[in-house]
Amino acid sequence: MSQNILQLLLDSFWKILLPGITVTIPLTVISFSLAMVIAIITAMIQYAKIPVLRQLARFYIWVIRGTPLLVQLYVVFFGLPSIGIRVAAFPSAVTVFAINEGAYCAETMRAAIESVPAGQMEAGYCVGMNYLQIMRRIVLPQAFRTAFPPLFNSLIGMVKDTSLAANITVAEMFFATQRIAGRTYQFMALYLELALIYLIFSTVLTRLQALGEKRLNSYGGNKN
Amino acid sequence: MALLKVNNVAKSFDGSPVLNGVSLSVEQGDVIAIIGPSGGGKTTFLRCLNFLETADQGTMKFDGKSYDMAHMSSKEINEVRRHTGFVFQNYNLFRNKTALQNVTEGLIVARKMNKEQAEEIGMRMLEKVGMADRANHYPSQMSGGQQQRTAIARALAQSPKIIYFDEPTSALDPELIGEVLSVMRDLANEGMTMIVVTHELEFAKQVSSKTIFLEGGVIVEEGPSKEFFAHPERPRTREFLRLEETRF
Ligand SMILES: Nc1ncnc2c1ncn2[C@@H]1O[C@H](COP(=O)(O)OP(=O)(O)OP(=O)(O)O)[C@@H](O)[C@H]1O
Ligand SMILES: [Mg+2]
Repeated sequence: MSQNILQLLLDSFWKILLPGITVTIPLTVISFSLAMVIAIITAMIQYAKIPVLRQLARFYIWVIRGTPLLVQLYVVFFGLPSIGIRVAAFPSAVTVFAINEGAYCAETMRAAIESVPAGQMEAGYCVGMNYLQIMRRIVLPQAFRTAFPPLFNSLIGMVKDTSLAANITVAEMFFATQRIAGRTYQFMALYLELALIYLIFSTVLTRLQALGEKRLNSYGGNKN
Repeated sequence: MALLKVNNVAKSFDGSPVLNGVSLSVEQGDVIAIIGPSGGGKTTFLRCLNFLETADQGTMKFDGKSYDMAHMSSKEINEVRRHTGFVFQNYNLFRNKTALQNVTEGLIVARKMNKEQAEEIGMRMLEKVGMADRANHYPSQMSGGQQQRTAIARALAQSPKIIYFDEPTSALDPELIGEVLSVMRDLANEGMTMIVVTHELEFAKQVSSKTIFLEGGVIVEEGPSKEFFAHPERPRTREFLRLEETRF
């Protein structure tokens, strides 16, 4: 009996890991990259206090942070078709994860940008640079340094959240495990195995974060 | 003809006036010291001159051109800033850039100079302030005095016609003040035009050509520095000078 379970775990390991590599990771990487673009734009709109757009940004963050991710997935994948908009499962998931994560990361970025002293901007003006040049070359790099740990937290969180995409038929790791479990009824063993694989993913990312922080701090960080 | 002439500069914050009609004329090669008690409007005045703050009122004549200080287009602001340097009390070096990059950043990004040429100028300026051997250090790796000297090199690299200093030594430990003042003294001797807000009365006395006492947003007294310190006319000026001297 336990021999069988061991065999099952070994067999299923690759069957779960494979969609992890081909679906979970691409889903995470693409969604998070898009989320960062959304976050930076949303944060800059608020920082620059651009009228109307700024209210839109606040509205976006309010709605997204105030509603469950799972519900957002359902609205896009099961809801939109009823008004004639049909999007395949994977792009639906990318869209929802990017928009959802973008709202959280926007707040992280906004706080990080605001933490850069106003004097950095003023010094830039005094050597003739314009707003966007100072943003791009002086303020955002410093803000990224501050935001790096919390952003990486968000990234690790997102890897695990992608399991929710199984609910809209994206064939990622959780989806694959569910199918094997449905056939074999070894729920305990298989879901623990799945948990272990997520743990491996997170551990690798945590290592990457430590390496990244070390590199960023090589010049002594943001202190004056 | 004066290099810089400002007339009747006024500025208030949230309804409370901070500058009440300040006028000033600066000749090429002048070193103007601005002294006065805390909250008197010295910083605000300098910031208005470089448009980090927008004056409510006032006219400026700089380098032969006239400006309405309350209504500046960004083109006009750039025109003035292109020929001015600004040195802050707390240095404000770009924290993500080395000393050399701090000096070359404006040249490369704003003036579109090529990197080699910018670095050549940058190294020359760092040498001038005694920071050449620290060219690749980040601000977090420098002392306050080294940061401020780098900030001066950054201002110099813009080949400014005038440099504004806002209490350049106030944030420094006493033993680091001398190295910054000596760089400024060299600049003055080379004929650089400067306006220096300072609490260093000795420096004002020795280096500046003219001293202005600013309090309550108005110029209480001004004059050639020698006379200003030897025979201050206003009782208020005398009181301030006496208080400042007994501070130490
Ligand atoms: N951005 C601002 N908003 C509101 N009030 C301000 C602002 N900047 C300066 N003030 C006020 O204006 C007055 C003059 O300030 P300013 O910094 O120009 O004085 P100062 O002469 O440079 O003083 P110090 O010697 O302490 O540097 C102060 O009362 C200050 O509180
Ligand atoms: Mg001041």
